[in-house]
Amino acid sequence: MILGIETSCDETAAALVTGEGEIRASVVSSQADLHARYGGVVPEVASRRHLELVTPVIREALSEAGATLDDVDRVAVTQGPGLIGALLVGLAAAKAVAWARRLPLVPVDHLNGHVASLYLQPDPLEPPFLCLLASGGHTMLLDVRGHGEHELLGTTLDDAAGEAFDKGARLLGLGYPGGRELDRLARDGDPKAYAFPVARVPGLDFSFSGLKTALLYAVRDLTPEELEARKADLAASYQHAIVRALVERVREAAAQAGRETIAVVGGVAANSELRASLPDARLAPLALCTDNAAMIASAARFTPAVAYPGYLGLDAYASR
Amino acid sequence: MLILAFDTATEAATSALVDDGEVLAERVSRAQTLLEDVDALLRQGGAHPRDLDALAVGVGPGSFTGVRIGLAAARGLALALDVSGAGVSTLAALAAGAPGALPVVDARRREIFTLADGEPAVLAPEALDLDPGTVCVGDGARRYRELLEEKGAEVPPDGDERHLPRARFHAALARDFGPVELVEPLYLRVPDAEQAVKR
Ligand SMILES: [Zn+2]
Repeated sequence: MILGIETSCDETAAALVTGEGEIRASVVSSQADLHARYGGVVPEVASRRHLELVTPVIREALSEAGATLDDVDRVAVTQGPGLIGALLVGLAAAKAVAWARRLPLVPVDHLNGHVASLYLQPDPLEPPFLCLLASGGHTMLLDVRGHGEHELLGTTLDDAAGEAFDKGARLLGLGYPGGRELDRLARDGDPKAYAFPVARVPGLDFSFSGLKTALLYAVRDLTPEELEARKADLAASYQHAIVRALVERVREAAAQAGRETIAVVGGVAANSELRASLPDARLAPLALCTDNAAMIASAARFTPAVAYPGYLGLDAYASR
Repeated sequence: MLILAFDTATEAATSALVDDGEVLAERVSRAQTLLEDVDALLRQGGAHPRDLDALAVGVGPGSFTGVRIGLAAARGLALALDVSGAGVSTLAALAAGAPGALPVVDARRREIFTLADGEPAVLAPEALDLDPGTVCVGDGARRYRELLEEKGAEVPPDGDERHLPRARFHAALARDFGPVELVEPLYLRVPDAEQAVKR
């Protein structure tokens, strides 16, 4: 079994996954509530919490799977990209466990991890496919040619899609993280009430910063009562603009790469309008959309392991 | 009792393997390569990870990231080997390595971690109250050498090993071994964001 550990942002997670991609346990301890009062993820606060939680989540995953470390034959850990201080907590713990047990260590790229959430049982997807990875930190179009092998076709030039959702939610006074709340509110609104523009940039890239400004202008001119009355319409129109931009680009990218299968992973894959707008796409299961360690263990199945003692000096990376 | 001790709170990470008070091996490197040191110590001491009886871990104060690397490694080791551990203040280890001296750790942002009336404290180096002739040791003493010497302090040459919180002293000072998850970091400062929210 593979023990996966993920601490790149604000979820502390551990999972046990078999070599065949079956999830035996997946424990995610979200810090969202902790960061809500700051209106965003604070790296130092996140890192402190990761240290408190990293071994308890491993322990919980083992007990949930009814396993011990004797059943583990590889340790997989997110090496980057992410918050460097947060990554180092998971990496130090992973190295220590692997070293103590003389196990190989698999350093996993977080983005490969998101894609590998599609390779888990009970219904694993086989490459090739066109993958949209959309989360609070990333918006990427990937031509996935094989397991762990992809080409980046497009990315965001400014805000990530999930970031656009969260910033919009904040402008509407929905708190943090507000993407899910905005999705819920949008169901009661008219997506055509406001025509929010999404910048068309060349190629297959995205730009969401103008959209946020447009929402700011729309909200600024409203009295608190008016805002309350139009909130659902604003949310629906704003969400519609983001989803339309994502869907258009995904279709273009799939056509350009000649891929018939489209897949969506990352936190934004949980958005209900996006799911409805891509009825033929393969969507990551809801539990695996946001950061988790099952996807890291899954990616480890297709990533070369580093044998003892080669990994002892391994460092984390914040960006690629 | 075979104790693995390490401290990654300062720029120079230290580690030691100590058997019933006898230092079998010692290393100095960086926090990121701590496990390389640990591996080398055990090979040098002819021991297997399973032979370890306990951990003695530096809890800071020092670099937040450094402290966490050491504690995360300790918790991982304890989980995998089922060993107990004890935390030792980095300042206490420095003081033990230089009897009579005042430990001064660089806290960045023009501040230092030191002992004030025997208690760990964070303050500006200018605010340090010193008896003339006090020996100051640690990376903070090295960094603020001029300022401290002006105050009448004595700071050993930069290469002096008394500036390092050597892990042999962590092993010697460690008491009350228990679950490593209960060994807490000594940050001495709340995160900036927390301070901003409180204001
Ligand atoms: Zn992610």
